[in-house]
Amino acid sequence: MSTPREKLELSTAYQPPGDDLQQRLAGLWSQKLGVAPIGLHDDFFELGGDSLLAADLQLAIDRMLGVEIPTWTLFLTPTVAELAATVAEALAGAQPDQPATDQVAGGHW
Amino acid sequence: MTAGLAGVDLADPDLYATGDPHAVWRGLRARDPVHWQPPTGDRPGFWSVTRYTDVDRVLSDHATFTSERGTLLNLLGRPDPAAGRQLAATDPPRHDRMRAPLQQALSPRAVQRCVPHVAAAVDRVLDPVRQAAGGVVDLVPVLRLLPLAAAGPLLGLPTADWPRLATLAAMCAAEDDAEVQLPGGVEATLARGHRELFAYFADLVRQRSRTPGDDLISVLVRMRCDGGPLQPGAVVANCYSLLLGAAVTLPCVPAATVAHLGATGRWRGFADQPDLLDDAVEEALRYASPAMHFMRQVRSPARLGGTDLNEGDAVVAWLAAANRDPAVFVDPDRFVPTRRPNRHLVFGSGRHYCIGANLARLTLRLLFGALAREFADLEPAGPVVRVRSTFLAGIKRLPVTPRRHR
Repeated sequence: MSTPREKLELSTAYQPPGDDLQQRLAGLWSQKLGVAPIGLHDDFFELGGDSLLAADLQLAIDRMLGVEIPTWTLFLTPTVAELAATVAEALAGAQPDQPATDQVAGGHW
Repeated sequence: MTAGLAGVDLADPDLYATGDPHAVWRGLRARDPVHWQPPTGDRPGFWSVTRYTDVDRVLSDHATFTSERGTLLNLLGRPDPAAGRQLAATDPPRHDRMRAPLQQALSPRAVQRCVPHVAAAVDRVLDPVRQAAGGVVDLVPVLRLLPLAAAGPLLGLPTADWPRLATLAAMCAAEDDAEVQLPGGVEATLARGHRELFAYFADLVRQRSRTPGDDLISVLVRMRCDGGPLQPGAVVANCYSLLLGAAVTLPCVPAATVAHLGATGRWRGFADQPDLLDDAVEEALRYASPAMHFMRQVRSPARLGGTDLNEGDAVVAWLAAANRDPAVFVDPDRFVPTRRPNRHLVFGSGRHYCIGANLARLTLRLLFGALAREFADLEPAGPVVRVRSTFLAGIKRLPVTPRRHR
């Protein structure tokens, strides 16, 4: 059961995720954090996230999107909007013949 | 000890920065060895134990005292996200399964292989002290690099990252240190240091999971525990814990020793007795007691030192107080380099005994050996400033005038 977003004390007003990528990321956050809905500019840590969860989420993003983004994105600019912008940038720069999923599939998780 | 103990606030970091915590502990040990501090504001009340036997019991009796509901006083009243995922915040039996592979990698024999690189690191770290001979140097920034230089290769941390990691570790532990504090204050400094370290290790862990090596991070990545690998968050939390465990506490030992021996004019005597090095290192550890406390929570009703404790009570075991218990140490407030036996609790007791103890001892032996060999004196050259923390018995400014042997 998710905690309704309005039960939390957040410093940002709710703004719904826009494009597909933002929606998928917000969905992933919702799943990991147990909070719904997730606003575009909500702070991951204000939503109840902690550093351990951020590291777990990192891997989930790797797997879901097949692209590796630098981890500091999530820790230091912890909103769906900022994360989506970095992911979009990484996707644009990714080599089409070498999906990043293969890179993580060889790992231990 | 005439001061009233009723109003003493053991959770006040100012006590450790500018007060006399040893006088407070002395009073508690004698008159109120299982001391209850009532709740204030949003912080629950907690027990404090200061006698050696009680501290030893709380740290080692994991069946009665759990580590999974916060192990530091400043976390009291908040859930510990690392519970069950980080060694220090996990009880046996899971703790033991997580610990075994790491312990093997940090065994006395494994650590003995580090002698050449640690000796080289000590030599490098001491350069600014040599250059300052006859002048003034602050030993704190000098010593800050020592743990990274000692543990960095074992963790497989690139040399270029050591200074930044040392700063981040300091941000996470010495939260009010002016040199590392951010404009946003204590909370902002802690959050930034913490997150940047987690991000750093998350990237490193991702890289090691692709190309494993024989370093400790790869050991964590490869580890299988209770039927599966550790989750990335758990791996990263343990990396963080290993780094902080080394980076933050180790420099306190030589700092406290130099500060004390300098103030009492006894460095010369210390430096003249290289044969006593092993005993002197143990005494330096006891005297400094960098990790002043660890906290546990009572799992089921228990009796401790004649007092009944309830389930869910927090108990703070003051290692630094136990290490000055006159029932165990003769003349406990004196620094006696020849002290034997010296069964101090600096590294804890029981299953959570410091996993880096072998490396810490090796590093301190090499450091004290080099200091004694090279410097006839490390004369005080200004006021010593202590860290403001309920956990760390640290020093943040230690100006000395080094004198070479003639």
